[in-house]
Amino acid sequence: MNIIVLMKQVPEIEKVRFDPEKGRLDRSSAGATTNPFDLNALEAAVSMGPMKAEEMLRDAIARGADRAILLSDEMFAGADTLATAYTLSAAIKKIGSFDLVICGEKTVDGDTAQVGPEVAEFLNIPHVAFVEEILQVDSCSITVKARMERSSYIIRLSLPALITVTKDVNNPRLPTLRDKLRAMRTPITIWGYKDLAEVADPRYFGFEGSPTRVVKVYTPTAERRRGQMISGQPEEIAQKIVQVLLENKVL
Amino acid sequence: MAAALKTGLTADCVDLDLDDDGNLLQIRPAFSGNIMAQIKTRTKPQMATVRYRVMKPLNRDPCRRGEVIVREAEVPEGTGIEILDKVEIMGVNISEADIIVAAGRGLKSPEDFKLLQELASLLGGVLGSSRPLVDSGWIGKEHQVGFSGNVVKPKVYMAFGISGAPQHLFGMRDSDIIIAVNKDPSAPIIGVSDYYVVGDLYEVIPPLINEIKRVKGLVK
Amino acid sequence: MPSSTLNTVIEDLKGIVGERWVITQRELMESYLRDETPDPVRPKPAENLVLVKPSSTEEVSLILKIANDRRIPVFPVGGRTGLVGGSVPTEPGIILSLERMNRIEVDRDNLMAVAEAGATLGELIKAAEDAGLFFPPHPGDEGAQIGGLIATNAGGARAIKYGVMRNYVRGLEVVLPTSEVLWLGGKTLKNNVGYDLMQLIIGSEGTLCVITKAVIRLFPKSKYMVTLVIPFNKRSDALKSVPAILRSGVMPLAVEYVQINEVLEAARHLNESWPVQRGFAQLIIILDGMSQEEVLGACEEISKICEANNALDIFLAETSEEQSRILRIRSNIYTALKPNMVDILDVTVPPSRLEELMDEVDAIGSKYGVYLPAYGHAGDGNLHVHIMKDAGNEHVAKKIKDEIYEEAIRLGGTITGEHGLGKIRLENLQMVLSEKHLDLLRSIKRVFDPNNILNPRGL
Repeated sequence: MNIIVLMKQVPEIEKVRFDPEKGRLDRSSAGATTNPFDLNALEAAVSMGPMKAEEMLRDAIARGADRAILLSDEMFAGADTLATAYTLSAAIKKIGSFDLVICGEKTVDGDTAQVGPEVAEFLNIPHVAFVEEILQVDSCSITVKARMERSSYIIRLSLPALITVTKDVNNPRLPTLRDKLRAMRTPITIWGYKDLAEVADPRYFGFEGSPTRVVKVYTPTAERRRGQMISGQPEEIAQKIVQVLLENKVL
Repeated sequence: MAAALKTGLTADCVDLDLDDDGNLLQIRPAFSGNIMAQIKTRTKPQMATVRYRVMKPLNRDPCRRGEVIVREAEVPEGTGIEILDKVEIMGVNISEADIIVAAGRGLKSPEDFKLLQELASLLGGVLGSSRPLVDSGWIGKEHQVGFSGNVVKPKVYMAFGISGAPQHLFGMRDSDIIIAVNKDPSAPIIGVSDYYVVGDLYEVIPPLINEIKRVKGLVK
Repeated sequence: MPSSTLNTVIEDLKGIVGERWVITQRELMESYLRDETPDPVRPKPAENLVLVKPSSTEEVSLILKIANDRRIPVFPVGGRTGLVGGSVPTEPGIILSLERMNRIEVDRDNLMAVAEAGATLGELIKAAEDAGLFFPPHPGDEGAQIGGLIATNAGGARAIKYGVMRNYVRGLEVVLPTSEVLWLGGKTLKNNVGYDLMQLIIGSEGTLCVITKAVIRLFPKSKYMVTLVIPFNKRSDALKSVPAILRSGVMPLAVEYVQINEVLEAARHLNESWPVQRGFAQLIIILDGMSQEEVLGACEEISKICEANNALDIFLAETSEEQSRILRIRSNIYTALKPNMVDILDVTVPPSRLEELMDEVDAIGSKYGVYLPAYGHAGDGNLHVHIMKDAGNEHVAKKIKDEIYEEAIRLGGTITGEHGLGKIRLENLQMVLSEKHLDLLRSIKRVFDPNNILNPRGL
């Protein structure tokens, strides 16, 4: 069975610092790591990103991927979800034969969870998002359990198909030292704009091909704890707490 | 759908606005909620989805008249997707909960978790606990919050009778809003809370339950 | 001390720290009356107590002055994460919590942090990290406070490369029981002015003075860190690998030995999964260095040694998330086992004798028909043995403990490597210290604390 896994290298989220005055992220303090959700997906890897992302693909090989392809080109930079999905689907078309595409449910930096489903649409194959368990796979279908709000659904997809997986789907295995060392010596295939132009329309790549624009980025203000005392008779206290719950839209 | 229409989509918005030209301004968190981004779409249609419960439903306005268009939709055959079954989720998953109602040593007996459970159920939340109560077997480990339990990040964390040992704070300090009720004004939990009540949980919770029921229209 | 004496000072204490920070209601000080010692062996707290939370060294000094004048016992407490009842207030008196004194300043130029005693280990780790530096040791619970870590000379994992707490402390601000404030040491790396009182105070468990502030050495953040998990079928194979690794020139931060039952139990407790499911005996090795190349080179060295000793495989965790999950599960073996535990021992032998010690522990276990979960800091020869409730009664548990102590001493070791004496190990002190040695210790205590008010415990 040929499985393609889509991966992204993201900053180590807990180490990214935010400059509230400039409204900017300082990624320099953070190392880069594999998007944790993608580790749950991992089998054979395709990634779009800067050359640095090679490290991550080597990690993917150490964890069991047979082959790794990095999509890297200045023309791909600045892509939003649609352009990213389009570029990834072009790469999958170029790979040609596959039975299943797997991606993590979302990335920890963008948080959108929409690239996977958009890739499926471009490939014109069925997909299910938020898969928490793979129940059965045979030569022509895959049966999964997928989470939607308070319920799970048991769904059968005919292959080829795409699924996005949650953290519950498995516990990413640790690579062995031997695999790690082997992966360090494995060459990574790099595809650029020209490689994909054969199978796709380059006008839809990168920043130019992206319909959305980030106008502004800022840090949410509620950084510091308010430390506000609520006092009064028990009934008054209750009313004030309910007010807080209403203001925060949890009631 | 956005991919099929080759248009932009901003999912999970927490706020929407219009700019001067009538374009949709889409506001959504990124970087696991650490920053907010304002996004515009250059293509049409402009598509966005909004996060569950961030918008308040308007009251019903019987004067409004809108046109209802009825179309026969054709369900395509052979989508390759077949739903075999639906399973309701049982049990708690505290690390995903939006609201956690937690108790600590201020709780006098294990039976009193019923009181907190009632409050949690009304809010659609789950029960949390500090470690001593779990160690004493008053509640299961799956409810434990802290360094040696679950690390949680709910929208609202309500701490009743929890003093806030560092071990506990480790597990809940990233909650959006922390409301603490404790008899001890010197308790460390008060220093990390957004709102606090110096008082007895047994005096605060019953009227709080009533007030929530009243607001939800469950009682007069 | 009659209870009336304590009542007369409550107003004075409120005058010093403010009314809000003097707690007299028993139900509000419940969590200050215990530490992490298992219930069956933890000393019982006294009845008549007052909890005081000062915000400055001056306030600590004023509190001690009153206590010394009126001969009121004072029990300094930190994060209460100790395992030998050290901070439990066993006589009527004052519980002194420095939790409000929790500032940390990092001095990047000197690679040091100046931390107040009430700051937690977690806060220190974070402050160092924010400044691009690193605080290497990890004595378990991150809720432990700096004052307590120093007072107990805490150890834990990651003590091989740079040592235990003692090796990090460069300066201390302390308040004597007679209320004077002293600064010992400072930001120098060398200091040779006479007797080293600072080192005497590190590990004195709150019996000589109250630590209020410390200068703590930090290290540059390593550019690359990995955690290896290495499963073996046989314990002897795992333990034989350890001295060979240390002899090879590789210098790990930590070499931990665990057995599969206990790590799986801890993982279940945390609702996590342990990454390596096979192999009865496992080594966890943490390595850091300047580059991936350097560290993976060291890993290959370790790999050769372990494979020669029948390692089943060598797994490598590279992401910080995976590495902290492994460390957190390892740190929570104790909490997972605690509900069924009577006591936890931390006997320590010369590293090469660890295997013998473990065999003796097994023999003692079979003699009494009980399972004694054991794991430890293999690189330090420091073994944790849990005596569980299946031992039956207190009497049997005590006999098991004493026999394990005797074996450790016979193998050239000692009864406690890191937990300290607290209040529950004093009864075994004569097994390791001579009468003359004990005499000297008593004299030192009298010099610092003539009225025996500070954490009185009989030594």
